[in-house]
Amino acid sequence: MKRKPISELTRRDFLRWASYGAASSTAFSALSNGSLLAAAAQGGGDYKALVVLYLAGGNDSFNMIVPTDSASYADYANSRQNLAVPLNDLLPIAPATNDGHTYGLHPSLTELRDLFDNDRLAIALNVGNMVAPVTRAQYQGGSASLPPRLFSHNDQQSQSMRIRADDSTAIGWGGALSDHQEFLNGVTSLSPSITIAGSTPLLTGTNTQAYHLGTSGSVSLKGFNGNTGAAIQATFDALRGQAHGSLIQHQFAQTRQEAIELDGVISAALDAQPGFATEFPEGNKAAAQLAMVAKMIQAQSTLGMERQVFFVKVGGFDTHADQLEDQPVLYAGLSAAIASFQAAMEEISMENRATLAAVSEFGRTLSSNGQGTDHGWGGHWLAVGGAVQGGDLYGTLPSFALEGADDAGSGRMIPTQSTDQFAATLARWFGVPDLELPSVFPNLGNFAASHLGFMG
Amino acid sequence: MCVSEGFRGDSLGDGSTRGGADGLRGTLETVGWAAGIALAAGCSSGEEEPADPWWVQSGLGLDLPSGESDAARFLEAATFGLSEDDLTGLQFAGFNAYLDYQCSLPASLQRPALEARIAKGEDVFQNQRQELWWRNAVMGEDQLRQRMAFALSEIFVVSDRAGSLSNHPLGLAEYYDLLSRGALGSFRDLLSEVTRSPAMGNYLSHLRNRKGDPENNIRPDENYARELLQLFSIGLVELNQDGTPRLDGDGAEIPTYTQTDIEELSRVLTGWTYAGSANFTWGPANMLEPMEAFPEYHDDQAKTILGSTVLPAGLTPSDDLEQALDVLFQHPNVPPFIAFRLIQRLVTSSPSAGYVERVAEVFADDGSGMRGNLEAVVRTILLDDEARTGHLTSPSTFGKLREPIVRMAGIWRTFSGRAETNRFRFWNPQNDFGQASLRSPSVFNFFYPTYQPPGVLADADLFAPEFQITTHTMITLAANEYYDRIYRAYPGFANGDEHTVTLRLDGEIALAEDAEALVDHLNIRLMAGQMSGAMRTALIVHVNGVDLDAGNKANGMQRVLDAIYLIVTSPEGSHQQ
Repeated sequence: MKRKPISELTRRDFLRWASYGAASSTAFSALSNGSLLAAAAQGGGDYKALVVLYLAGGNDSFNMIVPTDSASYADYANSRQNLAVPLNDLLPIAPATNDGHTYGLHPSLTELRDLFDNDRLAIALNVGNMVAPVTRAQYQGGSASLPPRLFSHNDQQSQSMRIRADDSTAIGWGGALSDHQEFLNGVTSLSPSITIAGSTPLLTGTNTQAYHLGTSGSVSLKGFNGNTGAAIQATFDALRGQAHGSLIQHQFAQTRQEAIELDGVISAALDAQPGFATEFPEGNKAAAQLAMVAKMIQAQSTLGMERQVFFVKVGGFDTHADQLEDQPVLYAGLSAAIASFQAAMEEISMENRATLAAVSEFGRTLSSNGQGTDHGWGGHWLAVGGAVQGGDLYGTLPSFALEGADDAGSGRMIPTQSTDQFAATLARWFGVPDLELPSVFPNLGNFAASHLGFMG
Repeated sequence: MCVSEGFRGDSLGDGSTRGGADGLRGTLETVGWAAGIALAAGCSSGEEEPADPWWVQSGLGLDLPSGESDAARFLEAATFGLSEDDLTGLQFAGFNAYLDYQCSLPASLQRPALEARIAKGEDVFQNQRQELWWRNAVMGEDQLRQRMAFALSEIFVVSDRAGSLSNHPLGLAEYYDLLSRGALGSFRDLLSEVTRSPAMGNYLSHLRNRKGDPENNIRPDENYARELLQLFSIGLVELNQDGTPRLDGDGAEIPTYTQTDIEELSRVLTGWTYAGSANFTWGPANMLEPMEAFPEYHDDQAKTILGSTVLPAGLTPSDDLEQALDVLFQHPNVPPFIAFRLIQRLVTSSPSAGYVERVAEVFADDGSGMRGNLEAVVRTILLDDEARTGHLTSPSTFGKLREPIVRMAGIWRTFSGRAETNRFRFWNPQNDFGQASLRSPSVFNFFYPTYQPPGVLADADLFAPEFQITTHTMITLAANEYYDRIYRAYPGFANGDEHTVTLRLDGEIALAEDAEALVDHLNIRLMAGQMSGAMRTALIVHVNGVDLDAGNKANGMQRVLDAIYLIVTSPEGSHQQ
C-alpha cells in the first residue's frame, strides 16, 4: 500500500527512515548514517523548497515574452493579428545571452521585468509535453511519438505534472522529488508534499502523498469543548476508528485521521511564527496561496522540514474569448503575486532556498479566433528565485510564422524542450544526482540534454 | 411561476406531513401534503378539496421494497434525502408507481421565483439563485427530476465563477431550469438546448463565434467544439457498450476524434449570438432565450463531422448545428459514456461493466425505438439489480461518497428544515463543502469521473470522484459546517436569527428516552439502514450516556443532536451504499 501523508512515529518507521538513507548508495554515498541523523537534527542548513505555481487553462505565454526585433515581431504580429501586444507597449529586457533577437515582456509584468533585470527570473522557451523530440514533418506525417490526447485540458495538465507524458498512471514529478528527498526530513508525520490548491497528480508519489492545506492555514474540528464536548469527541473518534470493510469508508476515515493529526502539528508550528512584514496583494488568488506557502517555509525548522514541494494554482488562463481584456488582469495579478512571494523569501533570508516554477498545461494558438486563442502545445515556463540563473532565456525561440518550421497547425507551436527536462532541471537543484535523473524521468534519455541549465 | 412558488412553505413546509412512527396511517390523515400537490398542479390557494395522496391513487403495488431499508436505499439514490411521505408511499405503491408519479410532476423552477423577487424590488445575485437551488432540492416535490437535474449540471457544466456569467443569476437560473425541464426527457433535445443556451455560449465562448477569416489568420473558436465532444457526448476514446475502452490490434485505446474533427465542428458552431441582437458583435445580453444565428457570420461551407459524415455547403446555421448534433448523438459512445456518469452521480462510483451495459442498452433504445430517453435511463439505473443489491454482493466496493451539498439538502429535507424567512440562506457552500450549484472551478466539474484518491481506493483501481473535494482541509471544514447546521439550528436554539434553518425534530425527541429506537430511526433516515452493528452499539452507548437535560437542552435534545451529528460526520454515514 502506498504511504500516507502521515505516519505514526513508530520504531519501525524510524528504522525504515534510517535505512532509507543508508541504503541509497548512489545518492548518499558521501554521507554516513550518522551524519544523516545529524543533518536532520540540525535543521535549516540545507533547506530547499520547490513551489510549483500552476497557470491552469493554458497560459498564452507567447504574449508573455515577445521578440521585438523587426523580423520576428512582424511574424508575431501577422500570426496574432488583433491579439498582438503593440511593440511600443512591451517592457524591454536584456537577456544575458544574445540569441540574435531582442525581447520585451507583456506590459502588465512590471514586477517580473524587475526580477528578470535582477537575475532572479529565468524563462524556459517553448516547453511542452513530449515523449521525444518532434519535427513538423514527423508531426504532419504521423510518424512522431506523441503524448496522447494533445490539446485536451485535463490530459495535458496531467501530463505536465507527471514524470512522463505517455503514461497517465505515472507518478507526479513533484511527488517523485519528495520520494527521493523525504529522508532528509527525518522522523516527521508531515509529508514533504503540500498542496494549497486541492488534489493534484503533481504531488502523487510512490512513497509520499500530498497534505492538503487551505489558504487560511490548518483547520481544527469544533464542538469538542464544553461539558458535552468530551463525550461527543470520544464517540466521534470511536466511529472513525472502527474497522471499515468498505474501502470508501476506509479512505474517508484515513483522510479524517490525517486531517486531525496534522492539524495539531501545523497549527502549533504556524502559531509560533512571527509572520511577515511583506504585504501580499489583496484579492489575488495566487498571492493568497503563496502567502500560505511563505508561512510554511517560515515554519520549516519548527516542523523539522529539510525538503518541501508546494503546489499552488491559479485559473482563468483559458482565454478563448475576451483575451484582450482578461490577459492584462491575469498577468498583473501573477506578476504581483510572484514578486510578493520573492520579497517574503528575502525577508526571511530564504530567497536562495526557495525556487518557484510557473508552468501550464499548454501554450495557445498563435492564431486568433477573433476573440481569443485556442489550445496549443508548447509555451514558455518560468523559474524564479535566488538559486535560479536568472536574467536569461533558455532554449530557442520558435518561428512565429504560421505554417512555419515549428507550427503543428494554426500556430500550435511544437515544443523544443520537454516537461521532463524542465522538471529534471529543478530535480538536480533539489538534490537528485545526475546519475539518477534517467530513473526518475524515464523518457529523459530521448532528449539531447538532461536539463535546461537555468539552475546552474 | 406558480409551480415553483407553490411549494413554498405551505405544503412541505409546515412539518405536518412527517408521519413518524404511525407511518402510512398517520400520513394519510394529514392534508398538508395533498394541499401541496393541488397547489403545485393548479396554482390554487389550496382551498379546494384535497386529493388523495399519489400512493392512494396508485393503489397497492406489486413491486414493493423488501422493507424500510430497501425503500430508504432507493430514495437515497432517487431523491436528495428521505421524507416520511416518500418512505410511506414507496412502501405502499411500489417502485414503478413511485417513478410514474415522480415523472408526472412538473419541474420546480428557479427563474420564475427570482423574477418574482425582482418584481418586488429585491436585488438578485448569485446568492439568491443558490437559495432557490436549496429550496427546490429540499422542498421540490419533483425530487427525481431535481436529483437528475443536479447530476446533469455536473456533466453539462457552466459556472458562475466565470466572469462572463457572474453577473447573470437569472441566466444561470434559466440554464438550471432548462436542465430541470429536460431531466427526464430526450437527451438529444437536451444537447440542442444546452448548445443553444446563452449561458453555455458564454461559458464556452461559441456565442459570437464567427466564421474564419483566413486572410487575417482568424479561425473559429474551438472551445465548445472540443468540450462538446470530450465532456458532453462521446469522450476521448472509443468505448464498448459496457463502458470499457475498445482496443485496437496492438491493445491501444482508439481516440474518438482528431484535432481536424475539432476544427470542422468549430466551423459548425459559428454565427450564434444573443437572441434579439441587432448586431452580431455587440448589444444587450439576452441570457434568457436561446441564442439566434446571423447567417453572414456562419461558415456555410461543407464540413466533415467525426471524419465521416459530410454536411453539405449552404445549410442554415440551425440545420448545420442539428445535423452535427445528430452525428454526435448517434455515436456508439454516447450511451455508455452518459450511463457511466449518471450511475456515478446517483448510485455507485465504480459500476460494474454489466451495470453500465444494461443502462447503455436502454439509453440506445428504450424498447420503443427511442434513443436517449432519460426517463427510461434513470428508471433502469435505479431499478437495476446492482443498484438494489450491490451493497450485499460487493460490500467492500459498492456505493459512493455522498456529495456534501446533497447530504446537506437531505438533512433539511428529512428534518423539514425551515427558516422564519422561508429561505435557505446558505450562499457559499463551496467554502466548506467544495461545491455549489453551477459553481464549478472549471468545465471539468468539482471532480473527475475517473478520479482515484491515492491509497486503498487507487490501489484497488476504484473510482471515487467525490474524494477529489474531500481534502484534509475540506473534510474538517465540512464537519464544522454540519456542526453549525445541527447544533446551532435546533428548535429553541437561543442564538439563531430569522435566517437560521431550524430542524424539526419532534419525531426524534419522541424517541429520545429510548436510545435503541432513536438510533434505529436515524439509521433508516440518514443511512438507509446500513449502519454496522459496531456503530449502532457505539451510538446507543453514547446516547444512553447523555442526560435528558444535558447541554441545557430539554427533552433529550442533546441526545438527538449528538446522534445526528455523529452519524453525518462518520465514515459510514458519509457513504451512500
